[in-house]
Amino acid sequence: MDTPDDLRYSSDHEWVRVEGGTARMGITDYAQDALGDVVFVQLPSAGAAVTAGSSISEVESTKSVSEVYAPVTGTVVEVNDELADQPQHLNEDPYGDGWICVIELADRGEVDRLLDAEGYRKLVDD
Amino acid sequence: MAAFGGWTMPLAYPQGTLAEHRACRSGVALFDVSHLGTVRVTGTGALALLQDALTNDLRRIGPGQAQYTHLLDPADGSVVDDLLVWWVAPERFDVMPNASNTAQVRRAVGGTDVTSERAVLAVQGPQARSCLASVFPEAGAVGRFAVRELDWQGTTCVVAGTGYTGEDGVEMAVPEAAAPALWDALVGAGAVPAGLGARDTLRLEAGLPLHGHELGPGITPLQAGLGWVVGWDKPDFRGRAALEGERARGPRRLLRGVELEGRRPPRAGSAVLSDGTVVGTVTSGNFSPTLERGIGLCFVPPDLEVGASVEIDLRGTRLPGRLVRLPFVSRRRKVEAGR
Repeated sequence: MDTPDDLRYSSDHEWVRVEGGTARMGITDYAQDALGDVVFVQLPSAGAAVTAGSSISEVESTKSVSEVYAPVTGTVVEVNDELADQPQHLNEDPYGDGWICVIELADRGEVDRLLDAEGYRKLVDD
Repeated sequence: MAAFGGWTMPLAYPQGTLAEHRACRSGVALFDVSHLGTVRVTGTGALALLQDALTNDLRRIGPGQAQYTHLLDPADGSVVDDLLVWWVAPERFDVMPNASNTAQVRRAVGGTDVTSERAVLAVQGPQARSCLASVFPEAGAVGRFAVRELDWQGTTCVVAGTGYTGEDGVEMAVPEAAAPALWDALVGAGAVPAGLGARDTLRLEAGLPLHGHELGPGITPLQAGLGWVVGWDKPDFRGRAALEGERARGPRRLLRGVELEGRRPPRAGSAVLSDGTVVGTVTSGNFSPTLERGIGLCFVPPDLEVGASVEIDLRGTRLPGRLVRLPFVSRRRKVEAGR
């Protein structure tokens, strides 16, 4: 499993990349592998207020549906519309083209309370 | 890996369900379907016994041919199991039930459960026969719904021109000890290993029922649109009286295909709405890799015809679609779509 060192992770298998006052997020390599081939992503709406731990998206694969939870609290400022036609980006490039949305952070310190790469690796190894 | 009817089976191999699905539609896929049961019924009374127990009429075929048929519950005519009968030799029938129904079928037809002695490999797809040509050419020559006993490297196999994908191909019952070598040889010849996930999306596109979803307790062959499986010309068969009642009244619901406008897959249990009112339930649903949209099978009232606009309620979201003729994907439609 690929778990880049420069990202932060939630225990619900989302990743976060801090970009100034915003956080780009998606699902981890571990999550996409467990889901199998993704065929549909229900995207959040730009402008939506989200709370850490609340559901912001649903990802459908050929075998199941899975909720995606906001890893941080804030406002959705950008959404990856390409996923509407290319949901396979979640499988092929979960940390790159497979990003789901960008959230403007309500509290920059919140990111520090997420897992680091080492902590996330431990979580999925158990 | 997933638990399925008492077996542990791969949902997908490393290529993934979508790639495996496409391999079967455009090339050749290889499935391990050893979980299907084999109940061997032999002897002078075997034909009469099966004629009494099962719905279809074996007089429509003969030795060396296969037939799809049902075992019914005499109480209400619902489908206890759907199965294939391989008529191997004049007095030998290999009856192939679904994994979890093998014991029930054996109680109804007798015979010997030889499931543990053999593996069953399915080679399916437009290139199934050319793949077999280099590995097991005699098997590649077995025609649609034909059944042959053939020798592969000194072991006797039974090969039938049957499958569950909507594609050309064969299913081969191979002695357990020889199965890994045959599997490896077929993979070496280009067959793509495919798991339960692809098997399900392929059969769904082909409009083929899955027991426990489109067939099962409370569901008759007539409701599932499988009246052709019933040999009405036979004097009797298990469940006939109950089924005759429904035939006279007309089934209260029918199995239809629903094709959605978008990619989101409907799922088993989703409600089907017509003009805002719930009229039925989705029994199987998924993403169609060929049509690149959500498809499902559902039971709806018989007056709701093909072409009707419906909505699927997916956990509170209404997905627009319409009822379509089955199969969703046939060999002919696929060719047209590729033009």
